[in-house]
Amino acid sequence: MRKPFLALLTFYQKFLTVLGYGSCRYYPTCSEYAKWQFQKNNLFLALFHSTLRILRCNQLFPGGIDYPVVKMNLNFKRVCYHNANANKIIVQFWLVPKEGNSFYLIKTFKRK
Amino acid sequence: MTLLDKMTQQQRMLLAIVLSILFFVVYDFMLPKPKPLPVDANATAVTQSATTPAANSAPAAVSNAAPQAAAGSASAPVQTKAPAQTPAAESNTIAEVHTKDYHMYIDALGRVSKFEVLIEKFKTAEGKLPNLVSADAPVKPLEIRFSDPKLNNEAFKTEYTANQSKVVVSDKQTVLTLTQELSSLTVIKEIVVKPDGTYDVSVKLSNPSEYFISPGFRPDEQADMYTFKGVLIRKADGTIETIEDGKAQGNEVFMKANIIAASDRYFTNAFYDFQNGFDVYITKDAKEDPLAFVKGQQEMKLHVYSGAKDHEKLKSIDPRMTDIIEYGFFTFLAKPMFLILKAIYDFVGNWGWAIVITTILLRLVLFPLTYKGMVSMNRLKELSPKVKEIQKKYKGDPAKMNAKMMELYKKHNANPMGGCLPMLLQIPVFFAIYRVLLNAVELKHAPWIGWIHDLSAMDPYFILPVLMAGTMFWQQHITPNNITDPMQEKIMKFLPLIFMFFFVTFPAGLTLYWFVNNLFGVAQQYYVNSLFAKEKAAKKG
Repeated sequence: MRKPFLALLTFYQKFLTVLGYGSCRYYPTCSEYAKWQFQKNNLFLALFHSTLRILRCNQLFPGGIDYPVVKMNLNFKRVCYHNANANKIIVQFWLVPKEGNSFYLIKTFKRK
Repeated sequence: MTLLDKMTQQQRMLLAIVLSILFFVVYDFMLPKPKPLPVDANATAVTQSATTPAANSAPAAVSNAAPQAAAGSASAPVQTKAPAQTPAAESNTIAEVHTKDYHMYIDALGRVSKFEVLIEKFKTAEGKLPNLVSADAPVKPLEIRFSDPKLNNEAFKTEYTANQSKVVVSDKQTVLTLTQELSSLTVIKEIVVKPDGTYDVSVKLSNPSEYFISPGFRPDEQADMYTFKGVLIRKADGTIETIEDGKAQGNEVFMKANIIAASDRYFTNAFYDFQNGFDVYITKDAKEDPLAFVKGQQEMKLHVYSGAKDHEKLKSIDPRMTDIIEYGFFTFLAKPMFLILKAIYDFVGNWGWAIVITTILLRLVLFPLTYKGMVSMNRLKELSPKVKEIQKKYKGDPAKMNAKMMELYKKHNANPMGGCLPMLLQIPVFFAIYRVLLNAVELKHAPWIGWIHDLSAMDPYFILPVLMAGTMFWQQHITPNNITDPMQEKIMKFLPLIFMFFFVTFPAGLTLYWFVNNLFGVAQQYYVNSLFAKEKAAKKG
């Protein structure tokens, strides 16, 4: 279910984002924010938060750094990294505890 | 703007939501609500209970009435079709009606065989007028088909007689009576020609027999792939149902509908009755185009409108008639957009200027946002050494660079970006104007200034697309962005050029909107710059 959303967002980032000539006021950008949300949050919440984010993305708000907050049960088996090979773990996201089972979602910068 | 600064995060959020919802909803409320019909309560009840049995019996009834419907009853339908296309019946005009709005010709089968509307701007250089009943239409206005195949066959071979061969109406309504003597019954069609451009038709049979009468096939004057063509039904509850050409199922039934309109881009052939309603049956032809019929028993009276889908004209007949104007998926936005444009047009008398003024109004609505953004942008100029430092430090790592930049912006409460919301709000506005330009008959052949003689067609000299691309480039040049990917930056530089070619074939009115929008973007920027400069000078002094 989350795949079509992610595909749509990737398409938007690749081809359509130039139309708005990179006008987003935030890091991560709205589309990136939505992508992370759809990757790690439940679908409904992801949709909700992404919509709110776009509504917030205007001159009435200061903008700046605004990481997604996701709800996650850490006992749950869906881990936040993927195995590149058996010995090396490549971290994709950091979860910074906010409250209860809410976490700030922070993506690592790409290594060169 | 200090007010905005004092607001809490929540208050601003609320304001942003309200602003954006306002945008979509308020105009919707401005639309005249369909008045509840006096018969509504009953009608819906009837519809509910009647739908099931009717839906079951409908295909049978309709397939009898219409050609090509069911393979089983092929013999009768084929024959019904055949006489309808004999040249003798086609060419035999038994009556003509002339009013200030149209010329109508009735053929020997009691149908409208030709309907020319007198609209000056659609007149060709040779003096040809738009004809809403094309010669090869699969069904013609006022065509009657009986459920009984034998009777139907006979009816399509028996000629009507008219009580007068030429009716000219200027300010008094006149009745034209058409009579068809069949072996088992007599059909009397009374056409009441009214001076307001509409006419009524009442059908009387000497013996009851189930029949179907059609408002005709859709006009074929401006039928293209961009706009809706087919049949539109305004149902008993006031909702609209459309059946597009090539998509007819052939068994749709709508009880107690109050409008049935077969339309192309600008014209329509429609029946309407807001008092009693009528039962609409849709069949299809070989191309799966919908053919509309209204079911009758012995006596029935219908109001007929054939002509352009002109907002004012339809509104003068009945405000609900404006529902015939179909803008497709974007109707909910295009309709209010049209009403705004129309209100301004009524004031200034030129559609081009109406577009320009609408653009300015939209800009004004969003001005508080833009102003705040621009002021903070100027604050940013003082930060430029720090920005350069970051750019240098994180060259080749766009994500990290963005993050650092945003950190800096937030710290100094200055963010140069416009934001995604204002950008996304542009899209529906753009589409609404596009749909209005495509669909509204008022915009056809509507001039602006000088070289623009038709806002709904492309700019013949490519001046507007070039101006649009030029201002787009200019705006890009003075607006900061956070694109760090060199590939994207290249694409962005070429964007005005791409847009220019993209816009070449677009309606001139749309290019005009985009051009004016860019122009005011640029002007706004310079204005705020000057305000800021003054403020700074005052502080120093």
